[in-house]
Amino acid sequence: MGHSTTPPKKTKSTSTTPKQGSVLVVERHHLLVRWSHWLNVPILLGLILSGISIYWSSPVYQHKPDPTTGNFDVAADTGIWICAHVPGLHHYSDPRDWIYNHLSLGPGLLALALRLHWLCAYSFMLNGVVYVAGLLLGGGWRSLLPRRSDVLDALKMFRYYIGFPLAKLLRRKWLHPRSNTKYNALQRAAYFSVPIAGCLSVATGWAIHKPMQLRGLAAIFGGYNAARVWHFWLMWIYVLFLVPHLILVLADGWDTLRSMIVGWSTRVSTGVDPPQVIAHDH
Amino acid sequence: MTTKKNSHPSEVAKSVALQKLESFFAEQPPRKIQMAPARLHQLTRRDVLLFGAGAVAALVGGGFLLPQDTLSRLGVRRDVDPPAKEWLLNKALRIDDDVAEALYSVNRRVPTYTKSQITPLKNNYNGATPDPGYIPGWNLTLGGLASGLSISLDIGNLTRGFSLHEQTTRLVCVEGWSAVAWWAGLRFDDLLRAYPPVSQAKWALVESSVNLDASGNPDPYFMSIDLATARHPQTLLATHFNGQPLTVDHGAPLRLLVPVKLGLKSVKAVTSISYVAEEPRDYWAERGYSRYDGI
Repeated sequence: MGHSTTPPKKTKSTSTTPKQGSVLVVERHHLLVRWSHWLNVPILLGLILSGISIYWSSPVYQHKPDPTTGNFDVAADTGIWICAHVPGLHHYSDPRDWIYNHLSLGPGLLALALRLHWLCAYSFMLNGVVYVAGLLLGGGWRSLLPRRSDVLDALKMFRYYIGFPLAKLLRRKWLHPRSNTKYNALQRAAYFSVPIAGCLSVATGWAIHKPMQLRGLAAIFGGYNAARVWHFWLMWIYVLFLVPHLILVLADGWDTLRSMIVGWSTRVSTGVDPPQVIAHDH
Repeated sequence: MTTKKNSHPSEVAKSVALQKLESFFAEQPPRKIQMAPARLHQLTRRDVLLFGAGAVAALVGGGFLLPQDTLSRLGVRRDVDPPAKEWLLNKALRIDDDVAEALYSVNRRVPTYTKSQITPLKNNYNGATPDPGYIPGWNLTLGGLASGLSISLDIGNLTRGFSLHEQTTRLVCVEGWSAVAWWAGLRFDDLLRAYPPVSQAKWALVESSVNLDASGNPDPYFMSIDLATARHPQTLLATHFNGQPLTVDHGAPLRLLVPVKLGLKSVKAVTSISYVAEEPRDYWAERGYSRYDGI
């Protein structure tokens, strides 16, 4: 996330000199990008919860039925394992449904889960159009494009994030790698790939939903059954993205979080232009 | 931009074009906004409050859409089931059905497979499997015909009176599993030509009176099929499965096979077909599933 924080109040730059008593902020996210960003929270949650409820009715990962319990679902096995090993869950009433009771709408709700999934899926596609429109109108798409130097820079950022907690513990200085773009290379890679994953989720979703009328699309993903596997694993990309996304935005502070709500940032000197000479008035 | 004095003009033009292209894709410096602190404070407060209202609306909306089973697990009780919820979810289902109907074409065939690609197909009777005692006295009753008559056909009339077609296609279940199976039977389209429906008919109601519920009590099964789908060349009234006459598990002696729709439309042990103008009742649509089920 961003680095040098300069209080916007009482600052003066050489390029644009704010009038006395005024504040200088920079535009960060277009209105449509902000709206679609936040709408994705309930939509993706709805898609994942209903999706796992749908998964329950015919799990992708199955094995031969267990001779004693008759169980064939790997997710049910996982639930049984969790209830056997996690303290406090030993008396859980239905260990087989633990995963479905906690990560989905619940087992045995296929009709409702399908309806909710279609509602969220159509909303997700519309929301994707809004997001792209916001990127185009605000010019934000340029900040997401990969650069030639990104591989090396992303590794530097990765090293920074990994070493950060240890450096803090040891009270050692741990410098943020320099970057003069809106996003650092690792952010760019994430924010560029997640919309692509979104497109793939939509494409695999259609391939599963209409494997006959859209047989060509299903064939691209290796047919109906393979498209189900793709669709399942694409879901995990959002989950895997979300964990560091949340941690880093909270670690980075209020300005970053607020910029996705209000659209602007007080970090005036972060940007593609050369760092400004900041002179303090008082 | 600097160019060497003796460089070729086309090279210059190329590098100018390239530079234009590069600057088009290059990240732009962010736009700076200058504002009175009071105004900025006001705008911030407005947007953060709007955001908070949106978050509350999303929570309420979620509580409104989620089933009571899910809410109970979260310790939330909702005593009323708002009718608007059903309306919204049904609306999504109808839109999806309309999309499916728009995608359908009578000329688009479903993929066919070789016999080596056949996979096992389980007996997926929703309830108990009927006792095979019904098979010897089985008849197919046709209603809603242009002739105004009610026709009764036995299996011999069907297998001898029509040409049988073979196909190895995928049956896709609403639950997500699928199976590739080798079927043979007469085309629904051929039956429609031999016994034409009344002119205003747009739907077929396909029923099985022999279906049972899980505890073995009669539970007649009924499905709506639009005639456009019934006329698809791969929509069969199947009499054979994997080269053998249908067994009771697979709906002996005659089952519907609609590969362009979910498996739940492929009624087993069909006992009657009636042609009607208005969309008829549908067993699974009454239980919250889609009505059209086109895939």
